[in-house]
Amino acid sequence: MAIKATEISDLIKQRIEGFQSVTEARNVGTIMSVTDGITRIHGLADARYGEMLEFPGNTFGLALNLEQDSVGAVVLGEYKHLTEGDTVKTTNRILEVPVGPELLGRVVDALGVPIDGRGPVRCARTAPIERVAPGVIYRQSVSQPVQTGYKAIDAMVPIGRGQRELIIGDRQTGKTALAVDTIINQKSSGIKCIYVAIGQKQSTIANVVRKLEEHGALAHTVVVTASASTPAALQYIAAYSGCTMGEYFMENGEDALIIYDDLSKQAVAYRQIALLLRRPPGREAFPGDVFYLHSRLLERSARVNQEYVEKVSQGRVKGRTGSLTGLPIIETQAGDVTAFVPTNVISITDGQIFLETDLFNAGIRPAMNAGISVSRVGGAAQTDIIKKLGGGIRLALAQYRELAAFSQFASDLDEATRKQLERGQRVTEVMKQKQYAPMSVAEMALSIYAVNNGYMDKVELKKVVAFEAALQAFAHTNYKSMLDEINALPKLSEDNEAAMKKCIEDFVATGTY
Amino acid sequence: MADRLTIARPYARAAFEEARERQRLAAWSESLHTAAQVVQDPRVRTLLGNPHVTAEQLAQLVTGIAGPKVGEEGANFVRTLADNHRLEFLPEITTLFDTFKDAAEGVADVTLTSAAAVDAAQRGKLSAALEKRLKRQVRLHCRVDPALIGGAVLRAGDLVIDGSLSTRLEHIAYALTA
Repeated sequence: MAIKATEISDLIKQRIEGFQSVTEARNVGTIMSVTDGITRIHGLADARYGEMLEFPGNTFGLALNLEQDSVGAVVLGEYKHLTEGDTVKTTNRILEVPVGPELLGRVVDALGVPIDGRGPVRCARTAPIERVAPGVIYRQSVSQPVQTGYKAIDAMVPIGRGQRELIIGDRQTGKTALAVDTIINQKSSGIKCIYVAIGQKQSTIANVVRKLEEHGALAHTVVVTASASTPAALQYIAAYSGCTMGEYFMENGEDALIIYDDLSKQAVAYRQIALLLRRPPGREAFPGDVFYLHSRLLERSARVNQEYVEKVSQGRVKGRTGSLTGLPIIETQAGDVTAFVPTNVISITDGQIFLETDLFNAGIRPAMNAGISVSRVGGAAQTDIIKKLGGGIRLALAQYRELAAFSQFASDLDEATRKQLERGQRVTEVMKQKQYAPMSVAEMALSIYAVNNGYMDKVELKKVVAFEAALQAFAHTNYKSMLDEINALPKLSEDNEAAMKKCIEDFVATGTY
Repeated sequence: MADRLTIARPYARAAFEEARERQRLAAWSESLHTAAQVVQDPRVRTLLGNPHVTAEQLAQLVTGIAGPKVGEEGANFVRTLADNHRLEFLPEITTLFDTFKDAAEGVADVTLTSAAAVDAAQRGKLSAALEKRLKRQVRLHCRVDPALIGGAVLRAGDLVIDGSLSTRLEHIAYALTA
């Protein structure tokens, strides 16, 4: 890119003209020590908790320990240029990040600075990263669904807008895949997504961003990253920054979805900071406020009523509710959900999706354990058709699990038991779904209706997946209008039921599976 | 530094309260300053950690030089410090004592660093303005530092009012590079 010398001097002139320096009174202190990104500062008598501190070299920090003679602060970013004796100033500001629709489609760091090489983000507004969650009177119960596009999840553990649903599992069980697919499925739903990557490899983050781009899902998504190589302080605040960006949409009467991938690493980053600040370690060496660390973050995911939106947007948005759905991810070690952080987050959220290594290796993907995965509030938000059809799935799988263990010892089974077993096996097969292939409500309804009503009972178990795929293809070519109608009005009406029945019978008659 | 101050604080507070009750703040302050200087002397410093010198001898040495102004209480104070091996903290104790004293008397030390010398009229004006702002009597200490290029920096404890040209130039530098 060629830049003319005159342009540069014009630019500099403009900036100098626009520059305003005011003489202001500030509180100052002196750095006593710098250790692993933690500084101890003497002085700063007026510093507030969580205030941004200005270090030399345009570096900022966060005051976290206010003690009698000193202030303990984490440096946000590089700290190699800081030395003992440097002057630190207060800024009178609590840490803020830019918010607004301008962030959509961008990849930013924990402070909202773009890192995708597409130029600066011109947000008109900023908001503090730590805020108090909306109060009780401003909340509304969950009543609209967030479609993940996964049959297994939308039928059995439905997620509502404003809900917090935990995704928990060992490494390599498809947690991120589930989250990414959910983002991809929001292309037409109007839900804005925020993907917060904490403590991950840069290559993994790059992959996720590329996949989102490939599937046209980056345009409605903000990616907030604090990779494994960024300082612990940034990994710790990234979750709050992302939440603040999501709250902007909620407060403007829109629906947003935030994914924290993952909160175990955020807790580990916070543990590092706490230990370096010499806070007393507790269980698993985590500090005493690890529960509050996550509870105050997840409480900010909410469904708020019209009055709240109107109040916060100062009357600009009227008659609309807002929501921020939270999908925190927790990585367990060898399936141990009784560790400190998993139990905390399980108790905070409104339900959890358990992903298991055994199921994943057995080819059941998503590897969700339907028995222990629950959604405590999502049922109220499920579409009518999936709610009615999904009941059959849950029942069939529950009976299957009970019998499967028992039938291993029995040599010959009676007809009814055998049928239940076979139905369970087929339901398990139908619940399998490929990555990056989210389904619409009508497609899900058709598959579930087919298996619930025994159309797959005669199909060989190995061929169930192929049968389902062929059925979907058949419906798309011959019964497109039926699918569109169900998607427009997802109710299990007699008409819809009859249409689905006819579609499946026509398909079975062709025998092309 | 913080740890030393934390250790010095209870001693300083005790000395200050004792002095205030007997209304001998100025005398105590003077004695503490002298004692602090004695302790900071390199020849005395070597004696502080010396196992052959008893606490009693050290206390006598310090009170002997610091003079009899503080009387019995002052001697007792120095002896307590010597017994607790805290004589080396006398400079910090003195600083804290002065801070408490200034707060009680409503006086603030303000350092004015300016690029050029400030005349008496300007000093008077500044003192008046600062007294209004800090709501205290101001003891103005003036320094000249040509490195500021222009303007001045006022410092009262942790509070800094920076109106220097060098800082403003620094700000412009950040604004242009950021």
